[in-house]
Amino acid sequence: MNFRFSDDQLTLAESVRDYLAGTHGPEVLRRLDAEGNRDPAIWQGLVDMGLTGLCVPEEQGGLGMGLLEAALIAAECGRACLAEPLVDTAFVAVPWLVSKGETAELAAIAAGTRKVALPHVLNPWVADGEGKPLQSVDPLRNLVRFPATGSTDDHLLNLGALMSAAQLLGLADAMLNQAVEYAKIRTQFGQPVGAFQGLKHQLSSCAVAVEFAKPVVWRAAQALQDGASSAPLHVSHAKLAATDAAIQTAEVAIQVHGAMGYTYEVDLHFWMKRAWALAGAWGDRSYHYKRVDAAVLGGSQPIGPEHTFA
Amino acid sequence: MDLAYTPEQQAFRAEVRAWMEAHVPKEPLVTLECKEGFDHHVAWERTLASGNWGMVTWPEQFGGRGLDLIQWLIFEEEYFRAGGPNRANQNGIFLLGPTIMEFGTEEQKARFLPPMARGEVIWAQAWSEPGAGSDMAAIQSKAVRDGDHYVITGQKTWSSRAAFADWGFGIFRTDPESKRHKGLTFILFDLNSPGITRRPIRQLHGDTGFAELFFDEVRVPVENCLAGEGEGWNVAMATAGFERGLMLRSPGRFQATAKRLVELYRAHEAEASPAAREAVVQAWGAAQAYAYNTYAVASKIMAGGKIGAEASLNKIFWSELDRAMHRTAMQLLGAHAELKRFGNGQINQWLEGYIFSLSGPIYAGSNEVQRNIIAERLLGLPRVGAG
Repeated sequence: MNFRFSDDQLTLAESVRDYLAGTHGPEVLRRLDAEGNRDPAIWQGLVDMGLTGLCVPEEQGGLGMGLLEAALIAAECGRACLAEPLVDTAFVAVPWLVSKGETAELAAIAAGTRKVALPHVLNPWVADGEGKPLQSVDPLRNLVRFPATGSTDDHLLNLGALMSAAQLLGLADAMLNQAVEYAKIRTQFGQPVGAFQGLKHQLSSCAVAVEFAKPVVWRAAQALQDGASSAPLHVSHAKLAATDAAIQTAEVAIQVHGAMGYTYEVDLHFWMKRAWALAGAWGDRSYHYKRVDAAVLGGSQPIGPEHTFA
Repeated sequence: MDLAYTPEQQAFRAEVRAWMEAHVPKEPLVTLECKEGFDHHVAWERTLASGNWGMVTWPEQFGGRGLDLIQWLIFEEEYFRAGGPNRANQNGIFLLGPTIMEFGTEEQKARFLPPMARGEVIWAQAWSEPGAGSDMAAIQSKAVRDGDHYVITGQKTWSSRAAFADWGFGIFRTDPESKRHKGLTFILFDLNSPGITRRPIRQLHGDTGFAELFFDEVRVPVENCLAGEGEGWNVAMATAGFERGLMLRSPGRFQATAKRLVELYRAHEAEASPAAREAVVQAWGAAQAYAYNTYAVASKIMAGGKIGAEASLNKIFWSELDRAMHRTAMQLLGAHAELKRFGNGQINQWLEGYIFSLSGPIYAGSNEVQRNIIAERLLGLPRVGAG
């Protein structure tokens, strides 16, 4: 029993965080928004870091890592508000293809020459797929209308929901950080607005929500990685906790920014809109709530103090 | 990350479960907040000690078992699974004990810890004063050095367990010229010392769970001072960290409440609102989240990490979760919620629990203070009033 990431896992996540912080700041999001929102150079950078092959087995030219590492990095993608379809391709499609024994495309995915957006019936549209375009409130999210056939596979849904939850953690962290930094520099009534308890307490409540959503997501990643029979419950719990934390943080963050928060000029809106989008993707709040409800009240999940990890 | 228990951990769980099933009282004890209930709870502390379960993480020489934090969590899970009573000596074992372990001399450890683990000396805390609640640095009670004694004069209030406990601990102003956080000293004292008057205070539920303490030139030997004169604030902050942090409220307590809430919901499903249903499901989720987080913190500490201001996140989370769960139960109980005993004579534990849960966001540093700590120390926002 050890509920802790290894030093290697933390170092990996940190290196991705540093890379994205250095190459994918808000100015990049603004450039993409203005000039067409995919940039081959960004994708190539992710490929060069090995991230497209993170979950591809070593025989197919990947790093052969698991869902825990993928979820950690998905959180970093959320933190950077990354729009390239890395998470859908490398952390959702690849693990799903591997689980089905479909290895044909894996080498191309790892090499970065193939991007995959798997349709699932729960998603009425997909990002970065082929089809009739739709406009998302998220200016960096390229939606297309749902293809004629979508999968009904639960494992695919669980992978998508888990990785959405992980991204929502990173988005929430980033929004909290932006709000805090703004509250330190914006002065009113002769002091930084962040010195007022009215803001402090709202921001602290966000910190509590985000902090307690994190271990739920990591626990779900481990359960799905282990193939635990309770994994769907834990994934739904994770999606709920991460969604609620991210939406709460988004609302507080815009409030802390005041009128600036209601403009397109402040960076916050990119993160907030991604959070809105992911909150409804791969099973919305009601869907995941009902799965938790059914397991907890329906009796399939043993509950009580001795069942923390049952 | 490895979320499976080792065979040794599973065997330990089985050992705790067997002992608890054989020893935990079948009927819930009368509340700890009245004399009769207090005596029952002290008797239970001694039963626990007879099985050497008083404080499992302490070193064996001090009455513990030298177990690690994962074993502690397993113990707590089984304790609450069995419906184990609240710990009469929680101020001692969860707050003062770890403080003595960190700051005490070897002599103090040998003197105070074993009787604490055995439930022979029950401890009360004496932090607050009438003018120093959330603002603890405003305390005025004085301890004046006189040879090898301190002479204490002043007043403490809202002292948990002080109506019935044996000993108390708190901080006192030893430097009369000092202000705020300086010049304070952490002192342990026998509540039966000449010059101490206890005035039990009726709490919200009508029982006398805490007390006001009046000190009229109470003589306390200097060897009862912890960590040296003038160090009181730092020591008290460490104690408060233990209180808010890992030990005081282990997850098993809230997981057990969530489970009882699910059972209560099932009994009231026909008339319950969808909102109440969702609150029940959320309670399970939040109690689990708290448990995962505690395992994560325990794993971090076992790997050499520390818990600092993060303890404030914990304190807010468990205290507001506890209140929410009991509020939901009161809603589910409907007209029955106000009854102190149900028609079948059973104590309405949800009502008692709801009343107690209202103290959670207040004690151990109000949640407003905790939110300031998070904002200033974790998020880095400017201090209140800073320009």
